[in-house]
Amino acid sequence: MKDTISLFFAYAKLGLKTRFQYKVDTIVTSFAVFFRESAGIIAMYLALLKFDTINNWNIDELIFLFSLIFITYGIFIVFFMALRDFSDWIKHGDFDRVMLRPRGLLTQLLLCGADWMAAFGHGTLGVLLFLFSANRVGIEWNFATALYYIVIVISGVLIQGAIFLIFSSISIYVVETQSLKELFYWNMRKFAIYPLSIYNKFIQSILIFVIPFAFVNYFPAQFFLRKDDMSAYPEFFMYLSPIVGTVLYVIAYAFWKFSLRYYKSTGN
Amino acid sequence: MNTYLQFAAIKFRNNMAYRFEYVMGILSTLLSFVVYWSIYRALYGTEEVVDGVTFSMVATNFIISLGLNNAFAKNEMFLQDKIKQGTIANELLKPVNFKLRMLFEDFGEGLFRVIFNFLPTVIIAMFFAELQAPSGTLNMMLCIISAILGYIVLWLISFIVQSWSFWLFSVWGLITIKNVFVNILAGAFIPMWFMPAWLRDFIKFTPFDSIYFTPVQIYLGELNGYEIVINFARQIFWILILYALSELFWRRGIKKLVVQGG
Repeated sequence: MKDTISLFFAYAKLGLKTRFQYKVDTIVTSFAVFFRESAGIIAMYLALLKFDTINNWNIDELIFLFSLIFITYGIFIVFFMALRDFSDWIKHGDFDRVMLRPRGLLTQLLLCGADWMAAFGHGTLGVLLFLFSANRVGIEWNFATALYYIVIVISGVLIQGAIFLIFSSISIYVVETQSLKELFYWNMRKFAIYPLSIYNKFIQSILIFVIPFAFVNYFPAQFFLRKDDMSAYPEFFMYLSPIVGTVLYVIAYAFWKFSLRYYKSTGN
Repeated sequence: MNTYLQFAAIKFRNNMAYRFEYVMGILSTLLSFVVYWSIYRALYGTEEVVDGVTFSMVATNFIISLGLNNAFAKNEMFLQDKIKQGTIANELLKPVNFKLRMLFEDFGEGLFRVIFNFLPTVIIAMFFAELQAPSGTLNMMLCIISAILGYIVLWLISFIVQSWSFWLFSVWGLITIKNVFVNILAGAFIPMWFMPAWLRDFIKFTPFDSIYFTPVQIYLGELNGYEIVINFARQIFWILILYALSELFWRRGIKKLVVQGG
């Protein structure tokens, strides 16, 4: 374990050093990611100057909801970048290299590199949104609520990690999974940012049961905010995120282990 | 001129090769539209009209501005890649105007995506969203002309930012930041009608509302003859200003250009 942690730091140091060869570019790119991701929030902020609330959520509550998506993605991308780009690893034969090393395959993939600019961009945005909204939405912060917040952030990272672990396993069979990721992750994420209750039932079901983004931000946020649109869903959904995260990750991991047996190198 | 139209035609045909890509493209545009349509459905609640703007006007505004925004998206790293790889040297030797060629190639691609991405999206959206019909044949034609002028405004802004590749290590960040300004200030993410007054007053002094909002207003029949003339004049004014700026950056850049090896 201690060995694994030091391996992570060694990789992180290497990655950051490489990136900071181009200091200005790294800072500008991180800021650009930050700004790009803020665009939807700025648009929402401007719209709410006119309309005040959306399904009874005011701007502070929305910002609290947004913060979860960005914080979890910021952490997610530190560990799961290799899985995000896994089809490239297979295509270029980089995965063969990983197989030759004396460490677990997934361990290496998780530790070996981070998209630091995405991590800074999303992470900073998430933290700022959280700091801005945490004391404005009537949450009583104590040890228990703070602990639950940490638990749901980890759950959110696990849910998104599991989704990408599944995509990566599929890459083992079909190599190219770009469109799959586009459809089931990036497009779904567009929806997930806003309160679930604004969508029609079909889209809601997808976000709850198929790509469970609702458990990354909407239901956990409801635990803290208790908005009345929660009445449309079973109350226990508010507590379900840690279970969804763990179960989904275990399933994804089993699928990954199973798929590895079928791995064939693409050659060269 | 014929040469440049050929460039546009080639790009148009090249795009036909990637059928699966374009199905995914339609889906992506459609889903972005559904997100904003749902947001404004919820914001409107039981109201049908807010500040004299009906919900169907909002839906129509989003399908045009968000749809064209996706259709007009292109590879904005083109110039940087040419400069980084040094292949720009070969391009400059060819007896064609590089900028004009780039414009026509992008236009060919844009036209392809308007026909095979934007129009199918509109047709599918008509089944669930209450879109407005164009306010007349003449207005429809004027709308198409103003959308083309809007495209040129957008293209020139993009070219100016891309031409910074002559001086910077990477323009990806600047392009991304530019796109945030376009998405918000041109009204792709929030309808112009609902922006705070101070922001609209500011936008009046920028080229952003000539990109999508002018075609949208003409389509909806919001403008009378005199206002249409004024809006066309504004679009042409911005094209001239932006063209002058783009020439300035381009010429300076070419002078500064040093290609390694070859």
